[in-house]
Amino acid sequence: MNRWKSDRGLEARMMLTMFLLAAVYLAFLAVLLSMGVNQIWVILFMGGFMFLQYFFSDKMILSSMGAKLVSESEEPRLHDLVRRLCQNADLPMPRIAVVRTSMPNAFATGRNQKNAVVAVTTGLLNRLNESEVEAVLAHELTHVKNRDMMVMTIATFLSSLAQMMVQWLPFMGMGGSDRDRDSGSSAALLLVVSLVVWIVSFILIRTLSRYREFAADRGAAIITGQPSNLISALTKISGFRVPTEDLRRVEGPVSALFITPALSGSALGNLFSTHPTLEARIDALQRIEMELEA
Amino acid sequence: MGFLDSLLGKTKLPEAKTDKLFAISTAAVTLEASLGYRPDGAAAVCIKPMESSRYEAARREIEELLGMSIKETGTEYKLQKDEYNYLWVVLSDPDLDDLVNAVQMVSQILTEQGLGIQILAAVYRFRGEAVIYWIYNFKQGAYYPFVPQSGRQRDTAREFRLKALLQKEMPLEKDESRWYPMWGMPL
Repeated sequence: MNRWKSDRGLEARMMLTMFLLAAVYLAFLAVLLSMGVNQIWVILFMGGFMFLQYFFSDKMILSSMGAKLVSESEEPRLHDLVRRLCQNADLPMPRIAVVRTSMPNAFATGRNQKNAVVAVTTGLLNRLNESEVEAVLAHELTHVKNRDMMVMTIATFLSSLAQMMVQWLPFMGMGGSDRDRDSGSSAALLLVVSLVVWIVSFILIRTLSRYREFAADRGAAIITGQPSNLISALTKISGFRVPTEDLRRVEGPVSALFITPALSGSALGNLFSTHPTLEARIDALQRIEMELEA
Repeated sequence: MGFLDSLLGKTKLPEAKTDKLFAISTAAVTLEASLGYRPDGAAAVCIKPMESSRYEAARREIEELLGMSIKETGTEYKLQKDEYNYLWVVLSDPDLDDLVNAVQMVSQILTEQGLGIQILAAVYRFRGEAVIYWIYNFKQGAYYPFVPQSGRQRDTAREFRLKALLQKEMPLEKDESRWYPMWGMPL
């Protein structure tokens, strides 16, 4: 008996995307193998590299973002908020980090639930009120709960390989001497195949990433029980706000600067972005809010 | 939450497990006999509020039923929001069994409304050489001890002693990393 239904449409789209990605990768592997086994070392090398990246993701991302782990005594309220959300979501307590920057943002990393880190920027803490911060934390904890780090690492594995081959192949095996004629043309074919795999998988990965964001928004709504807090947090983070300025003051020559072009990107731009548009996320959250009343 | 659920990004929160709630009654006997801790006449249920008219209905029903049971058992109650905006149903009654029944009733109303996942924890206060709390985690269906001290410190040694003594008497949370403290409880 649970008020929360799952979003079958979203799950089906996610499943389809992952299925297509797997199909592209299998075809790619088949081509690689048919061209000779000597590519195996490349796959092993990439595999090892991805594994290291996955295993040390928390440390790497934290240092590249300039995030500093904070203790319970440094940020007691932040720890309390996260702790209660973890209690509700039945997650182990992650480590918490803070990034000193005025840009409002947050992220989660770590290879599994036990090694997770949730980080927020000081800009986020300053700009949002506590229940909005809680909603953002719940979104990040859902990424942890859904094992998004692992899913996305696996999803990008062969795509990175294809990308690497596109970048390296032009400098390899294109010698053009008599003996290399055959290997030259097969290298050209490999280049084309890799390029296609790279482009198609890139679009699929970005699509998957957007679906996982929707899923994390939904999870945040479920864990906090309050979709509207996430809506107001998202609008504040993206710089769009319900205006506080009187209409009569805004009207006039300056108003051109206030209309919201930044909000609606082009359809092509959307295809390549990692996150859904603000409108799409707000729409989805409002549907969840309506489900709650149904 | 299974592998397929996380692969599809399904967020499933565990349902409230109320079946082990009553274990506190038998544990209380051992607790008093061996360590001298007595029930302190206070308990509470912590609920995560939700934006939904169904939640509001459940809250009203809780108040109504608690209001009626005052006359029968003399259990007094108050509803209180804490600093993190969680709702506490604070109960006071010298009789431990009445407290347990009231806690059970509150969780049952929420579960019947399909809001079981909103129940965070139930807390019982005991008093002896120190004030100790037993927190019931509805997600795991298990109890764990919480002995707060001043300045957000907890008396871990005492908590482990309580665990050692009572692990045969009641279902205890085995994973100590889930012994989440609850600071600033309204009881």
